[in-house]
Amino acid sequence: MLASPLWRSLGADVIQLEAILDMRLMIDDRKPLSTGMGKRQSQKKDRKHGSIWSALLFTFMGVLYIIPLYAIPDRITGMSVYFSLLLAFITLTLITDFSNTLFDKRDKYILFPRPVSDKTLVLAKLLHVFIYLLRMVLPMALPAWVMLGCIDGWASALLFPLPLTLMVCLALFFVNSFYLLVLHLTRPEKFKDIINYFQIFTSVVFFATVYLLPGYFNREGNNRFDASNFAWLKFLPSSWLAACWVWIGFPAPQQNTLMLSIIGILLPLLCAFILIKWLSPQFSKKISGIDGIEVTESSNNTAVKSSSKSKIYVQLARLFNRSEEGQAGFIITWLLTSRSRTFRMRVYPSFAFIPIYFIYLLSQGKNGIKYAIADLPHTSKHLLLLYMSSYVLISGMSYMIMSEQYKAAWVYYSSPVGVPGKVMSGALKAMWVKFFLPFFSVLSIFTLVTWGPQVLPDLLLALINVTLLAACIARVSFRQLPFSMMEQAKQKGGKFLKGLISMLVPATLGLGHYFAIHLWWLKLIFMLLSSAMLWLVWDSYSNTTWANINREEQNS
Amino acid sequence: MEPIISIKGLSKKYGDKIVLQNINLEVEPGQIIGYIGPNGAGKSTTVKVLTGIIQDYEGEVTVMGRKLADNLMEIKGKVGYIPELAELYDLLTPREYLTFTGRLYHLSNDVIEDRSRRMLESFGLLANIDQRMDSFSKGMRQKVLITSGLLHNPEIVFMDEPLSGLDANAVILIKELLQALKQEGKTIFYCSHMMDVVEKVSDRIVLISNGMILANGTIDELRQNNGDTLEQIFSRLTSAGGFTQKADDLAAAMKENFTAQ
Repeated sequence: MLASPLWRSLGADVIQLEAILDMRLMIDDRKPLSTGMGKRQSQKKDRKHGSIWSALLFTFMGVLYIIPLYAIPDRITGMSVYFSLLLAFITLTLITDFSNTLFDKRDKYILFPRPVSDKTLVLAKLLHVFIYLLRMVLPMALPAWVMLGCIDGWASALLFPLPLTLMVCLALFFVNSFYLLVLHLTRPEKFKDIINYFQIFTSVVFFATVYLLPGYFNREGNNRFDASNFAWLKFLPSSWLAACWVWIGFPAPQQNTLMLSIIGILLPLLCAFILIKWLSPQFSKKISGIDGIEVTESSNNTAVKSSSKSKIYVQLARLFNRSEEGQAGFIITWLLTSRSRTFRMRVYPSFAFIPIYFIYLLSQGKNGIKYAIADLPHTSKHLLLLYMSSYVLISGMSYMIMSEQYKAAWVYYSSPVGVPGKVMSGALKAMWVKFFLPFFSVLSIFTLVTWGPQVLPDLLLALINVTLLAACIARVSFRQLPFSMMEQAKQKGGKFLKGLISMLVPATLGLGHYFAIHLWWLKLIFMLLSSAMLWLVWDSYSNTTWANINREEQNS
Repeated sequence: MEPIISIKGLSKKYGDKIVLQNINLEVEPGQIIGYIGPNGAGKSTTVKVLTGIIQDYEGEVTVMGRKLADNLMEIKGKVGYIPELAELYDLLTPREYLTFTGRLYHLSNDVIEDRSRRMLESFGLLANIDQRMDSFSKGMRQKVLITSGLLHNPEIVFMDEPLSGLDANAVILIKELLQALKQEGKTIFYCSHMMDVVEKVSDRIVLISNGMILANGTIDELRQNNGDTLEQIFSRLTSAGGFTQKADDLAAAMKENFTAQ
């Protein structure tokens, strides 16, 4: 193993250290990334070259992140923005993507009972994180590295890894501090939920970066990017790192960067020292106890009186479903969609994707985003926004049938459920009521405020059409019981084609809506047509039989 | 007396693998049937057929005098199933999970609430009724699973290794429960590896191996021909043996590895 004497001198057992690292890196290779784009990697086939795909993805991200370097003429400011973006991204990714590894409760059973010393464990953890970060930072920094080599010469490119290494130390320090703070402030069982929301946030940041960052720098032009507009940057660690790079990279460093660059070098080193000396051992102690908390029988003696009758979702289940099976499907979907971290991670970001993508589309106009926003009331773009809301419903539907605990679905098969479509219909209604309706309401308020009350019929028609679209897709592609399917990476081609065809009819209606935008009577006809179709499709979905489900399972 | 369960010529294949071969069995009402066999013998498959989970089988199965294939929903409503693994949606609380399963059996909320509370109280879990099950121990999950299998007051209860993960007190409770259910006139189809429990609670024992029934009778009937304890009978009939030699081999292998290092 590389630098064995060093690890030995730090008190680690090198053979154990190597074994633990090998195992962890192997597991890393087989896990999808949580940036949102990696979610389809969960199939074994796709994981085979996990490291290569990750590297390519990070290089692509790196290409986006060098935009400030050429868009901002002042090199220190450009580098500060660059390091800010890089530092924010790797810190967020480390918090979100790495938490599963750090809190893998199998450690408790696999490593803790073995004769592995605390020092080996802590060092293994730190080295693992360090290697993980390098795997991320190196491909991400590659485009900047090449660019700096071309612009500033080989000497500055040669020294570029120095601020990068210092940045990794800072990221490690921030993440450890963050974990310790959260562990200190919250109950351990809440900790994973907080991390989950960070994952969602990261995924949104990732999406926003890809869509909005290039446009932002292109729009603003080079003129506005001088150092005076970014004076506040000097208070950020990224600015100190940038100053440090300039000091090393140029033969005659500017006077005002000297102090910042000294801080830029010393602070990460101090952080690394604090990390090894205090934070990591403390952190290890904290997480060794995190999974030891198991509820014991009668541990909570508070009287249990509340009944599920009074719960809002029970009332809604009754309101929207006549059958008991429908109510059961509604309730379980309502509850599990709130509690499943995987579901939240996959569906919640879609709420943010829609406004981001709408802004992105607006920004594509010749006159810029400000003009596009001011011009909105004179356009029919509210239809675009309203129909885009279908993404939330479709995304929710597609993950509603999947679960890590899909085996628990035996209960549907052993109970006297004659028509499983009733359970499915209840589940779909829960998705509609819980996720789509509130989101559509928010969009409706925005639409009404921006376009005025004359768009009210459009809102109604869009609501019916989007529901019809979702029902068609559910009928053709997601004809399964809620939370009953193993997570799958890809749908079969035939199924996709069927889904595409099923979207044609509502898409035609959507297009019809656009052409009927100024004809109220035509909108009325469309409303009636769509409502009738919705009734037919929903009825067919609600009457799904066991034979239909078995056929779907065989085809999937 | 008319049998409550009647199986004639039951066979089941998974691809080319034969799991059940021409099973013939009759169970009388109010009996506890101990259904035993080595791993992969076909016990769970038999139970899945009888509970209507597996429907593509050969042969004829009659439950409560009605053909299973033709009266699936009606029969499912009258049987309870407690599977081997405590697979449940553990992000739910016991109350939520039991409400969900109770609704699938068309029980009213009041009945679900009342029965859940009383049954969980008996298991010592009432205080945990509103806690999410993802932090429960295996035994606690198993108790919730048993409660969900009995919540709708079934006529026949199929238990597949119900004692898995339970502590000694809970095991005693389940054994008592089996007797209480029997006294209520319920029929219990009990699959287990725990020979001592099967021996004590069963009225009749059916031994299955490689998808075929090897023995079927009371414990006394089985003893007459095959050995003293159920464990010995099991061992003899399933042609397993030489355990001492196997254990010695294992110990020796362990030593050799140790010396080599």
